[in-house]
Amino acid sequence: MTYTRRQFIGTLGATTALIGAPSILRAQSQGTFRIGALCPVTGSGSPFGSGMQKMIIAAAEAVNAAGGAAGRKIEIVSEDTQTNPQAAVLAAKKLIDVNKVQAILGTWSSGVSLAVVPLTNDANIILMNTSGAPALSVPPANAKGLSYRFQATNDRFGRAFAEICEKEGFKRPATMAFNNASGIGNTEGFRKAWEAKGHKVVENVVYEPNQPTYRSELQKVLAANPDVIVTGSYLADTTIIMREWYQSGQPVKWVMPGWAASPDLVKAVGPDVVEGVISVDSVSNENAPSYKAYDEAYRKVTGQPGQSNVYAAMTWDMVHALALAIEAANGTDTAAINAKIREVSNPAGQQVYTYAEAKEALKKGKINFEGASSVLDFDQYGDVTPDFGVFFIEGGQLNRRYVVKI
Amino acid sequence: MEAYFIAIGIIALIYVILSLGLTLQYGLTGLINFGHVGFFAIGAYTSALLALKGVPLVFSFAAAAALAGLAAWPLGLVSLRLRDDYFAIVTLGFSEVVRIVITSERWLTNGVQGIPGIPRLYEGLGGSAAQLAVLVTVLAVTLVGAWIIRRIAGSPFGRLIEAIRDNEEAVQALGKDPARFKIQVLVVGAALAGIAGAFYAHYITYIVPDQFIPLVTFYVWMAIIMGGVGRVSGAIVGTAILMLFLEGSRFLRDIVPGVSEVDMASVRIGAVGLLLVLFIMYRPQGLMGDYTKR
Repeated sequence: MTYTRRQFIGTLGATTALIGAPSILRAQSQGTFRIGALCPVTGSGSPFGSGMQKMIIAAAEAVNAAGGAAGRKIEIVSEDTQTNPQAAVLAAKKLIDVNKVQAILGTWSSGVSLAVVPLTNDANIILMNTSGAPALSVPPANAKGLSYRFQATNDRFGRAFAEICEKEGFKRPATMAFNNASGIGNTEGFRKAWEAKGHKVVENVVYEPNQPTYRSELQKVLAANPDVIVTGSYLADTTIIMREWYQSGQPVKWVMPGWAASPDLVKAVGPDVVEGVISVDSVSNENAPSYKAYDEAYRKVTGQPGQSNVYAAMTWDMVHALALAIEAANGTDTAAINAKIREVSNPAGQQVYTYAEAKEALKKGKINFEGASSVLDFDQYGDVTPDFGVFFIEGGQLNRRYVVKI
Repeated sequence: MEAYFIAIGIIALIYVILSLGLTLQYGLTGLINFGHVGFFAIGAYTSALLALKGVPLVFSFAAAAALAGLAAWPLGLVSLRLRDDYFAIVTLGFSEVVRIVITSERWLTNGVQGIPGIPRLYEGLGGSAAQLAVLVTVLAVTLVGAWIIRRIAGSPFGRLIEAIRDNEEAVQALGKDPARFKIQVLVVGAALAGIAGAFYAHYITYIVPDQFIPLVTFYVWMAIIMGGVGRVSGAIVGTAILMLFLEGSRFLRDIVPGVSEVDMASVRIGAVGLLLVLFIMYRPQGLMGDYTKR
C-alpha cells in the first residue's frame, strides 16, 4: 500500500475540515448560561473525575427542571483535564474562547487548578475547584477573588490532626508523608499547628511513591520513639507501611487521612493490624436533605453510593451555589454573580437544601444554602471549612467517635 | 476562537523547538535521547526561578539555554562508551534523576508544591496583544532554530555527524574523534530544549515536577517519527500533526452522535491512539520522509 505525500495530506486536510466545520457553524444560543465542566476524567484523577462530571450535569438538570437561573437554562460543556496541567490549559482555553463558557467548574488536582486559574482570571470568569494546595487561596492565584475551593485545604487537615493529637493526649508525634503536594501539605500543616501549640514533632519523614517496601523510612520514624505517627499518605503505600510496622512490633498509634485509612485498608491488612488507628476525614453534610438529593442522583447515574466519591458531592454543590448566585444577581454579569456567591451560601438567612426550594425562598429574603459536601460557608479566600469526623478503627469497623471543628 | 488557536500555536511551537533539538541528536547524529524532557525541565526551572528573583527575562532565557546545555556535557562524556540502546537507558535515567532532584530540593524548587505566579512575557501589553506577541516571539525563535539546524545539516560538520550515525568506525578510521562531535550535538540540542522549557514556564506560569514526565519526551519522538526523521521540515510538520490529533479530537463530540459527554473523554484519547497507529502503518517513513525508498 503506497500513498504519495500529496494524497496523504489531502486525506488529512479533508478529515480536519470535517471535524472542524460543525463547531465553526455552531452559534451561541440565546437564553442560556454556559458552564464548562473541566474534570479529571482520564489520568490519575480518573477514579473521581467521571463521577464529578456526571454530577455537574445532573445538578444542571435539577436546576433546569426548576426553571433555570435568572430565567436562563444552564448548559454544560465538558472537557477532560487528563489530570495534566498542560492538557488542562488547552482544554480551558477551548472552553473559554470557543465555547464561551462563563464559569469553569470541577478542576481537581492542585497542579491543574493552579495552571487554569490565570486563564479564568484573565477572562474574568469564576473557577470552582476541589484542590488542596494553600497557594490557591491567595494572590497571584486568587488575585481577583473569582476562585472558590470546595475541599478543605491540606493546611486545615493538618490543623485537625493537631487538634486530635492534643485531645488524645499524645506527647511525641512524628510524621510520615507521601512526597506530593497533598501528602506534604497534610504533615506540614500538622507540624505548624502542633508547634504553634508549643509542642515539638520528634521526626519528619518524606517517602517516595511506588516503593515495594518502606522499612528504612519506618525504622527512621520509629527510632525517634514517637507515641503517635501522623501520616499524609494514600491507600497503596499505607497498606505496605502498616504491614511492615505490625511486623516490627513496636507499639505506636496512628492518625491518618480518611482516603488512606478506609475500609479498603482494613480489608487489605486485616482488622488486627489496624486496630485503634484514627482515621480523619472531612464529613460530607450527610444528614442534610441536600446530601440525600445528591446521593439519589449519584446512585441513579453511577449505580454507586454517594459516599464513594466526596468530590462528586462538591461538584454537585458547585452548580447549586453558582446557579443560586445567578438567580440572586438576576443576570449573567460575572462581577454581580461573584458578589452573590457568599450571600447565598453563608449564614444569616433561611437554611435551604435543594435548588427549587432555595429559588422560592430567595424571593422572600436571604438564604443560606447548605451543601451536600459541607455547610458551604466561604471565608474571605473563597475556602470552605468543613468539619472533620474522627473515626476509630475497632474490630475492623470505622466508628465515628466525635467531630472536630477548626 | 483566535485566542484558542494562538494558545495551540504557542504550545505547538514549543514542541517544535524540542523536536528540532531531537532532530539534530537523533535524526542527524543517531543518538537515541530518551531524556529530552530533563533538559526541558532544567530550562523551565532555571528561567522561572531567575525571573522570580527579578532577573530580566532576556537573561533568564539565556541562563536556561546555558544551564540545560551544560547539563548535557556529562551525558556526552558518558556517550563516549555507550551506544544506541545503552545510551537510551542512560538518558531516560537522567531525565528521571532531574525530576527527582527537582522534587526533593524543596528549598530551591518548592518541591511537589510547584512554582506558581511565574511572570509572563510581555505582561505590559496585556490580554490578546501579549498572547500574539508571545506567539510571534516563539515563532521567530523557532525559525532561527530551524535555520541553524538546516545550516548545520548542510555544513561539513553536518556531513560528519551523519557519518557518525551511519558508520562510527569509518569516521574513526578517517582520523576524526566522534566523541567530541557527539558532545557538541548533545549540548546544542539540550540548549534548544532549555529555551523551549523557558517559554513553557513563562507561558503556563505554573510549573510542578509532574509536568516533566517521560511522556513529554515521547510526544517529541512521536512528532519527529510522524514528520520524517532527520529532516527539519519533518520536525515542524510532525509536531503540527500531533497537535492536530490531540486538539482536533476535542471537536469529535460535534460529529459523533450517541456518546455521552463523560465517555467522550476516553473515546477521544482512544481516537488519538488509533490515528497515531494508522499514521505509522500507512506512512512509516513519516510525512516529509523520503517515500521512494522503503
